[in-house]
Amino acid sequence: MIGLGQVQDFCAVAETIKDSRALASLMAEITHEMGFRYFALVHHIDLKPAASSVHIVDYPPEWVERFQARRLYASDPIHRASHRTNIGFAWSAVQSLITLSAADRSILAEAHDAGLGDGFTVPAHIPGEVNGSCSFAMGSGDVLDQRQLPLVQLIGSFAFEAARRLSRQTQAPCHGPSLTERQAECVALVARGKTDWEISQILGIGQETVIQHVKDARDRYGVTKRTLLAIRALFDGQISFADVFGR
Amino acid sequence: MHIATGAARAMENRLFRSMFEERKRVFVDLLRWDVPVLAGRYEIDQFDNGSAVYIVIADAEGEHLASARLLPTTGDHILGTIFPELCEQAPPRGGAILEITRFCLARRLRARERLEVRNRLVSALVEYALRNRIQSYTGVAEWPWFQQILSFGWACRPLGLPGSTSGRCLVALQIDIDGRTREQLQASGIWCPVGLAEFAKAA
Repeated sequence: MIGLGQVQDFCAVAETIKDSRALASLMAEITHEMGFRYFALVHHIDLKPAASSVHIVDYPPEWVERFQARRLYASDPIHRASHRTNIGFAWSAVQSLITLSAADRSILAEAHDAGLGDGFTVPAHIPGEVNGSCSFAMGSGDVLDQRQLPLVQLIGSFAFEAARRLSRQTQAPCHGPSLTERQAECVALVARGKTDWEISQILGIGQETVIQHVKDARDRYGVTKRTLLAIRALFDGQISFADVFGR
Repeated sequence: MHIATGAARAMENRLFRSMFEERKRVFVDLLRWDVPVLAGRYEIDQFDNGSAVYIVIADAEGEHLASARLLPTTGDHILGTIFPELCEQAPPRGGAILEITRFCLARRLRARERLEVRNRLVSALVEYALRNRIQSYTGVAEWPWFQQILSFGWACRPLGLPGSTSGRCLVALQIDIDGRTREQLQASGIWCPVGLAEFAKAA
């Protein structure tokens, strides 16, 4: 059991941390103090030599291997549920966020077999950045202390921010491809299902110009399909769902 | 950046009036906050008094893009008056501590413009603090916004545990501003220089 004092101490130390090994050991310490056994601080993408993405994990090795082998980064039900909320949630309450399929249930059962008990995931979503999360897990059979959860939520957010800061240091400030203003506008309209001609009418520019903008945007992402272009641009925050669905 | 002190003076100026209108569009129409609306157009509450300071970012045509309200913590302010229970100890007060409230981005902005304008406003707030010997900002934020505030890379810490009020998860926070803050915002890619000329014009 920890109190706000420990959270504030954690924030103060996390702010000064210089490398991910130090952060991992700080995390291990606070994880233990909060009564958890494991933690994972990750951006939800499968990029191992990852360009400025966060990946600091202390989970049972058996589970980490399976997770990577099966590329569960995006399909893992806990990750998926975390995309539906900004507030931390207990894994045992995951069904209040998403409907579990048979495949989801088997993933959760496997995690349990690998030694993971109940856990608590703090989403880390900010505009212009890939989704991420900070999760803490109990050993199987351990009981989650509900009173602790607001503190865990704070720790999770500050931990993720520390990891974010470290990953920035190792990487030039430019993240993924960046679209020009006009390209982003066109891609947002592509995501709305508009044709090049329709986009040209909406923006009041020539159809040839639209075709060129969309082509340039596809080139920047190295994708050939319009659908994939829209998804990639949404994924890394070049356009937002608000741009697609209107506000 | 444009600065005005006192709600009455702000209302005499077109740019600041449009700020109160935008606040209605954002906080009442969009976020459904239960706050008063004046003349059906302006969101103005009891903290919009003579000591409130308004900081506005405008576009080249002088239209409101973003704004924030700064309240002295020596008098009535949101954390001290409405949400003291969000602080584990007494809410911080002092002449060098201001509370940031009504951080507002124009609704018409698209996702990428929003980030850019948000960064300009955050930089302006830091610049304002440094020029006016303000050492800390406090504030109450909904959880998603708190995560953004945290990601700016400045020295930010919680003043209490997150609490839920009518379905919203709120947290009280303090941001310390000092000689390192500019660098911290530079490292996270937030910093945008705020022109001196704009400063003079706003006086």
